Amino acid sequence: MPSNQFFNHEGPWSDATEPLMCTDTGDWRTKRPVVDKEKCIFCGFCAIYCPVQVMEMTADSCFEPDLGFCKGCGICAKECPKNAITMVSEGEFVS
Amino acid sequence: MNATATPSNIKVITGNAAAAIAAKLARPDVVAAYPITPQTEVIEQISSFHASGDMDCELITVEGENSAMNAVMAASLAGGRVFTASSSWGLVFMYDAVLATAGARAPVVMVNVNRETPGIIAVSSGQQDMISTRDAGWIFLIAENCQEILDLVLQAYRLAEDYDIQVPVMVHYDGFFLSYLSEGVEIPEQETVDQFLSVLASQPKRTMLRPGEKLGVGTHGILGGYMELRHKHVTAMERSKAKFDAIDGEFADVFGRSYGGQLEEYRTDDADMVLVGSGSMCGTIKSVIDDQREKGNRIGLVKIRMYRPFPHQALIKALKGKKAIGVVDRSLAFGFDGGPIYTELKAFETRLGGAKLVSFIDGIANTDITKTNVEQMIRMTKDLSDGRDVPEVTWVSYPEANKDKGEK
Amino acid sequence: MAEKKKGRLTNVLDYLKHDDPFSKGVAFCPGCGLELLLRFIPRVLGNDIVITGTPSCSAPVLLGQNRQSWHTLSYFGTLMTGAAANATGLVRYYKKAGIDNTVVCFNGDGTANDIGFGNLSGAAERNEPFIYICYDNEGYMNTGIQKSGTTPYGATTTTTPYGTVHRGKNLRRMNLGLKMAMNKIPYTATATLSDLEDLAKKLLKAKKAKERGFCFLHVFAPCPTGWGADPADTIEICRQAVKSNYFPLWEAENGKIRMTKTVKKPKPVSNYTRMMKKFNHMTEKDMKILQDDVEYEYCLLGGLSVLEAECHLPVSAEDGGEKL
Repeated sequence: MPSNQFFNHEGPWSDATEPLMCTDTGDWRTKRPVVDKEKCIFCGFCAIYCPVQVMEMTADSCFEPDLGFCKGCGICAKECPKNAITMVSEGEFVS
Repeated sequence: MNATATPSNIKVITGNAAAAIAAKLARPDVVAAYPITPQTEVIEQISSFHASGDMDCELITVEGENSAMNAVMAASLAGGRVFTASSSWGLVFMYDAVLATAGARAPVVMVNVNRETPGIIAVSSGQQDMISTRDAGWIFLIAENCQEILDLVLQAYRLAEDYDIQVPVMVHYDGFFLSYLSEGVEIPEQETVDQFLSVLASQPKRTMLRPGEKLGVGTHGILGGYMELRHKHVTAMERSKAKFDAIDGEFADVFGRSYGGQLEEYRTDDADMVLVGSGSMCGTIKSVIDDQREKGNRIGLVKIRMYRPFPHQALIKALKGKKAIGVVDRSLAFGFDGGPIYTELKAFETRLGGAKLVSFIDGIANTDITKTNVEQMIRMTKDLSDGRDVPEVTWVSYPEANKDKGEK
Repeated sequence: MAEKKKGRLTNVLDYLKHDDPFSKGVAFCPGCGLELLLRFIPRVLGNDIVITGTPSCSAPVLLGQNRQSWHTLSYFGTLMTGAAANATGLVRYYKKAGIDNTVVCFNGDGTANDIGFGNLSGAAERNEPFIYICYDNEGYMNTGIQKSGTTPYGATTTTTPYGTVHRGKNLRRMNLGLKMAMNKIPYTATATLSDLEDLAKKLLKAKKAKERGFCFLHVFAPCPTGWGADPADTIEICRQAVKSNYFPLWEAENGKIRMTKTVKKPKPVSNYTRMMKKFNHMTEKDMKILQDDVEYEYCLLGGLSVLEAECHLPVSAEDGGEKL
């Protein structure tokens, strides 16, 4: 009998009750968004416009990117109505 | 005869009507189809059953055959029983979905009414459409007469939806010769058909696409995944051979009719010479064989009922030790010295115990396979059996082809 | 520390009632309009939608790998030629089996307008009860940026490149949304990513209208990679497209068109085209042709919306005629 090494079924079915696949897209970026909490007015535009949806609400009414997956596209910085987000080169964060 | 077989009706109906009635009896959930000569009556009948409430199904009058196959493939993967029908150009228009259906292992059942599919528009019979699509990964069954059309469609559901198989099944029958031919057909009662198919309900449920269940179909196969699926498909096809033979037995128990499974052997036991054929030509061949037998010619017929997967084990068993075999093709293959089914059988020549093979090409391009033609085939096969020189391939209705093979 | 002046949290967040079913790390380009749209849809419509996808930029994410998936939605990976027919088969079976469902047939402009248009037309004609969403990035992007029927006049793609003899696409784009509205289906709408509240409302309207039959959403979703744009500009590009009437926002119930955003003083299309390299080669004459094309299409649309305001829906259209 054929094996069930890669599939559980006879046909091409995937099962999302198994762990989802995930790529380390945080490794892609060359710039990262840095949020200035003083300027942030907690409007949420960065959160809704982020294609990856990595902007997470913080306890102090602001937003912070999940750097594990932020691709560094810069939409959040561009869309912020208060220019509270700056795209900073990853090189600045290498110790 | 089984005591549970209930008395049924014999009605004089066309092959197309037989297919439609079989589909109705199988109680499909979704039917989608598009008209094409010589299949049109199948869907007209089904539409009529649907309109009068005799058939409780979702009937999708699609805008093209490609959509017909895509619709039934999806409905099948969602868990439904489905039906569609097409022919020649329609079959090739839906061919991308035909391949996808096989790859997705959706248990779709359809009938294909054979019609010539050459480079020019033809409205005549021929098996080229079946030959053009033979390795899509579907099980191909071929009917000889109107009764067998009805019976094969019912058996097709039993086979396709079997949990051990889950391969789509296409029932082929000759356009014009069977589609429009009226014959007496015993139409079973609905309860008997329900009984025959009820074994499927007691099997484990196949995987189905439902909202919220987090299953997806049509995933990529990467690394060894794709290979694993292809191997699963091939092995399922192999299993379908024995399964189809077993189903023939189940069918006989319930309906009182048996055909023999993958092959039907007609008067082959003591035959030195055998013709191998498929479809409506077999009716003519059987009739000529009966005449020939009275003259003392020990000739038989091996009728291929399951064409894909190619029943090579059954054919070897049936043909081994025969002196001469004439394979009748109703289609062409290019670059070989013979027709398609001939070349497929010839691949097993070394296992046939010394039997010699010849190819007959007939019934293509608007020609009939007449009793006279069959007599000629038998004569030539007998010559072969007697050790005389016989050309490897003969175009029975077109002697010019026998002189000019196009070789330089 | 003085109290920071706070704005109000955007209304859009109210529409995102459901979790994002997608894995955080999926292979879309940075700034991809499609990624934003694809994550948005199930957050508005719910995670129990059944989504169909075809070979396209969405395929590497919508379709799994072996037994694993990138998201928790039920999906059907299928061929471009039959996407709408597949969705038809699904909804018809679910109807027969009495299974509640929202099927979203999710395709790019290549499938919707070109290779899969035949069965899209058939599904609309039969009024099949599902939502067909076309994300329009104006080209066949997954195969490496080739021209499609919705690629605008003048744009460069790999099959309409800039050369000495031919310079970019020399054909006008097709108006897919309007074509579908003319079928008088229960709901047709255009939407884009700069107006997310509008998009959310239209998604919900489509979900409701689906009870009466076929719904079509035409969503403008920029592709920074294919258009030669800065990924950070994706949303602004949408904004400029709307402000210049390059991509007007409207909806149509049973074919009756209503503008959902009226642009009082449209900006020149050049405000939009200068944001991406695919129009870099355009001469003044080329730009005039494009500007005229945009204005003419808008005029047709505007004319239809005013005219159709006076049209009385036939009675049968209200209840969809014979119950399907």
